[in-house]
Amino acid sequence: MNPSLSWRYGLVAALLGLMALAIIVQIVRIQTDPEIHALIGRSETVVRYYYPARGNIYDRDGHLLAGNITVYEVTVSLPEMKPEDIHPIALAAQVYLGRDYETVATLLANPPNGAVSVRIADYVSVEQVEQLQSFMNSLMNDPNGNPLASLGFRAHLGRSYPEGELASNVLGFVTQNEAGYFGVEARYNNLLSGIPVALRVPVDPRRAVEWPQIPPGASIILTIDRELQKETEEILDRALSETGAESGVIIVMNPRNGEILALATTPRIHPAEYYRLPEVFPGETPFNRAISQAYEPGSVMKILTMAAALDAGVVTPGTLYFDTGVINVGGQNIYNWDRGAWGYQDMTGCLAYSLNTCLSWVASQLGAEKFYDYMQAFGIGHPTGIDLDGEITGRLKLPGDEDWTPVELATNSFGQGVSVTPMQLVMAASALANHGQMVYPHVLYATVQDGQQHTVVPQIAGQPIRPETARTISEMLAVALEQEGKRALTPGYRVAGKTGTAQIPTRYGYDPELTNASFIGWGPVDDPQFLIFVWLEKPRSSPWGSVVAAPVFQQVVEKTVVLLGIPPDSVRAQWAGR
Amino acid sequence: MQEFSRIVRTIRQAPWRIQRQWVGLLLLILVVVVLLSVIYLNVTVQATVTGREIQFLNHSIEENTRRNADLSTELAALTSVEAMRSRAEALGYQPVELEEVTYLIVPGYHGKPPVNLSVPSSRPSPSLLRPEYYETLFDWITRQIAVGVRP
Repeated sequence: MNPSLSWRYGLVAALLGLMALAIIVQIVRIQTDPEIHALIGRSETVVRYYYPARGNIYDRDGHLLAGNITVYEVTVSLPEMKPEDIHPIALAAQVYLGRDYETVATLLANPPNGAVSVRIADYVSVEQVEQLQSFMNSLMNDPNGNPLASLGFRAHLGRSYPEGELASNVLGFVTQNEAGYFGVEARYNNLLSGIPVALRVPVDPRRAVEWPQIPPGASIILTIDRELQKETEEILDRALSETGAESGVIIVMNPRNGEILALATTPRIHPAEYYRLPEVFPGETPFNRAISQAYEPGSVMKILTMAAALDAGVVTPGTLYFDTGVINVGGQNIYNWDRGAWGYQDMTGCLAYSLNTCLSWVASQLGAEKFYDYMQAFGIGHPTGIDLDGEITGRLKLPGDEDWTPVELATNSFGQGVSVTPMQLVMAASALANHGQMVYPHVLYATVQDGQQHTVVPQIAGQPIRPETARTISEMLAVALEQEGKRALTPGYRVAGKTGTAQIPTRYGYDPELTNASFIGWGPVDDPQFLIFVWLEKPRSSPWGSVVAAPVFQQVVEKTVVLLGIPPDSVRAQWAGR
Repeated sequence: MQEFSRIVRTIRQAPWRIQRQWVGLLLLILVVVVLLSVIYLNVTVQATVTGREIQFLNHSIEENTRRNADLSTELAALTSVEAMRSRAEALGYQPVELEEVTYLIVPGYHGKPPVNLSVPSSRPSPSLLRPEYYETLFDWITRQIAVGVRP
């Protein structure tokens, strides 16, 4: 070979060898350099969060009360947006999405540092997005370019309530940060919302990755009967309108197992419009008065006092009390509601005429220790444990408390000086309607997860009185109603119950005019299948529970027996005889 | 003998023979590289296409989930208490009153059965992707070592 050629070949070979060496060195460097590793690590994968669909809420017959619908997140891609696009985008956001022009314009003009996209609206309805997209399409052929071209839309699920305001005080609501507030949405938030999954997804599409199969949040079935709930809410609204009462509560419960069949209260709000909360529930207005507002119940407490006395053997239905119209307890005189003297009365008469003096005497015979033991056994002064968010306890003063005085024994016996929530009264009365066994009120019937339904087993909260006592007091209250509470009666169905008219305590003593009118009752007496509580706050047409609350109870009974298919007593007796 | 050795050396060192050897070697390398490139490209394209299909399918699952939720909610709105009441009234029905109800004994009927929203099991299946589809060579080696050292 020519020596000059050989030299040239050698040079080329050396150069090629150097290049190959450089490539190998570079390969090793790329594989080992920590800086390059960090750079690759940042861009190789991105973390994406997958949120499971929120579980549905059904009524006891499987009707959907809370579900999900498609909503959109609207974003603006900053690299694609030109400065002159800010005005049309903000204007479109105002017109089509209901956003404030200034807020959007300011956000777009001063986006967060490092942001490549900003969200200008979320939870936008499909209709709104379709209108906006239609407008965007109309600008496609604009010679100056489409100023809305940088808008982006991402579909996701948002909460929806197809029944509107129905049972809203039981359901609560879900905000845009997917957190449940009030009612079962808050109480069962963890169950409903499921568990979000974070997944590191490779950016490189060549690297296949299996997306996680995220199970949706568990669905829950409530004990609420939507038809009965609707009727109950309508009855309550009518009662408020007719009596001029400020607010009210109606609870319908199955006393055998504590299932809340209907719970109506005021005010109500469409859960999707939760942003109106301060307007609908001004000041300290509770979201659900049945569990979050304590009040002095008045005479409905007499059923507990009498049940305690009967159970302790202090009195029997036939025990006579001579009413002079006044009784002195702890140095203070107690009078009847009419300041009258009712002469000789048996215990049924005391309940029928709602005599404060008689019940004060009964409580005195029972003694403070036993009286308060019974009241605590009935759950007074303790939360019921109902599965709704926001329950309060009320207050039962006990001997030994700083503010307890001996006269409290008398006043507490007829429902003054003690505060309870409607749900506490319902729970306590369930012992009288359910053979002495007190049940935990609850709204959860079952959960559905992974296609499997798990039905809740009812819990017994205790047995404050014996079954015989429960039968006796039920019979006494049924007779008392037949004597003096005809407005509460429903033809064909024997019910037991008691009215309550309670003065309202103020900073300066009891209000001379305003009252809390209530009624609690259950039926059919021989086989109780419903327990109904009615409370009207500050009725104007009449202050008396027997006048304003008893008819409401009767209306609810009528609807309850029809909707639950409870035959009249005579039909049931006929069937039983076969 | 000397003559034979000279001829062999001449043939062995012939420039055209050496050049052909080099060309052959380079062609062989080129063919191997092209072959490897083709295989690599083919596998890469298949993986990319599969990855994109998986992405589309996942989007499709999400879309169907949303569609199902929309339809359930739409159905619930169409059969809400208010809507059903309006439809019933439009058809000439009216709410039944207490005194209008007649109760009959129907043999074998035990009242409305309790709600049951259980559905046939749709348990998430075990992993659908085999390791070959997402594992790198390094991952595979690591896994093999881990399997090897496992007691």
